[in-house]
Amino acid sequence: MRLSASVASVVVVPAAPLLLPEHAGRADVVPGLRAAVRRALEGLHDVAVLAEPAWGEPVAAHLLRDIGLLEAPLGEAGALLVAGDGSARRGEKAPGHLDERAAPYDAVVEEALREGDAVTLASLDLDLGAELLAAGAPVLRALGDAVLASGRAVQTADLAYADDPFGVRYWVARWDLA
Amino acid sequence: MLRLGRHTFADDATLMMAIVNRTPDSFYDRGATWAEEKALERVAQVVEQGAEIVDIGGIKAAPGAVIDVAEEKTRVVDFVARVRSAYPGVVISVDTWRAEVGRAVCEAGADLLNDAWGGHDPGLAEVAAEFDVALVCTHTGGATPRTRPHRVAYDDVVADAIAHTVGEAERAVGLGVARESLLIDPAHDFGKNTLHSLELTRRLDEMTATGWPVLVSLSNKDFVGESLDLPVGERLTGTLAATAVAAWHGARIFRVHEVVETRQVVDMVATIRGDLAPARLVRGLA
Repeated sequence: MRLSASVASVVVVPAAPLLLPEHAGRADVVPGLRAAVRRALEGLHDVAVLAEPAWGEPVAAHLLRDIGLLEAPLGEAGALLVAGDGSARRGEKAPGHLDERAAPYDAVVEEALREGDAVTLASLDLDLGAELLAAGAPVLRALGDAVLASGRAVQTADLAYADDPFGVRYWVARWDLA
Repeated sequence: MLRLGRHTFADDATLMMAIVNRTPDSFYDRGATWAEEKALERVAQVVEQGAEIVDIGGIKAAPGAVIDVAEEKTRVVDFVARVRSAYPGVVISVDTWRAEVGRAVCEAGADLLNDAWGGHDPGLAEVAAEFDVALVCTHTGGATPRTRPHRVAYDDVVADAIAHTVGEAERAVGLGVARESLLIDPAHDFGKNTLHSLELTRRLDEMTATGWPVLVSLSNKDFVGESLDLPVGERLTGTLAATAVAAWHGARIFRVHEVVETRQVVDMVATIRGDLAPARLVRGLA
């Protein structure tokens, strides 16, 4: 993937199906996450999406629609929305039960998102990610690759949300590129 | 829209009508709320449990000591006023068949007249029209108030219940009761044997198909007791099973002793029907 010069910001959000309106119960189970997503997307325009097709793409499309943004092709995009999250094996009640390797794996990704560290994302172990049910590993690695290939620096990085309310690690992060 | 006196509800809302007896001898509570303060505590409890409606009654349905108009009014009118002032957010229904009592409770703040004896006093609908309150039109097969069924027969009890309740509702509209303020009730066990009540439950969809909102009063009744051979006090599970079937068929208002359990059953059925989203969704979607 090539990151065009027009892309000024990257936002990372979870690809959780429960964010979709057709999967919403009467009570919002992730109000804090939703608020963080809205804040991270504030002020963006012409947003391209990087996500796996099964859940990431519909979730990303919904989150953009939800705040009145339209999806743009990557070549013309002012920002990139990456829908990807961490391991779903973070505890005994997690969807994938507990795998002791999940926490350290997610910690590496989380630190990279907090620090704007594209090098670390570009070197993510996809086999381990798959074992840990980290659905976001491929897209986060692709994000790292794209930022490195563009030669652009991450000017500011902000990790606005990091939590695992249901045993899956969710992040909301925003990078502004130089 | 459903309008019950001062209160309005969406067309897909289900409502809990909690029974509050101002009687010393009703079959289920046996006078537990006969004292006014006990009855007020019962109101507080059911409101806290989420009941949208309280149904206040001063005369038990079964035969017994004669309660004249004056005594019935003594039991319910001032109590309605107290509930009105203490709980302005709750719909106040009064279970009476007498127009004279209906008039007095409407003046005291009632929102709904629950004419459990099927229009025995035709003046009750006129009172509902005059005070712009809601009215429940029930089917008793023409039974005299406070009589038990004895060798009652119908060609088709469901057709009879529909014809009578819809006829009463249309008559009420003709008298000036607002169309959005009328409910119909097949009145399980009133003028019916257990097989009649079971058939009405089984075929309740025919009644809801009329388009009039259907109220059901199933709570701990004899048709449940006979179905399971259980005495009063051991009929909750059977009541809830009947409630689930009625809810599945589209009943809207549930007259109940047990608010919390009934609300759970009705919400579960509405969720299964797809009328109500689950309260929360996470499983498999995190």
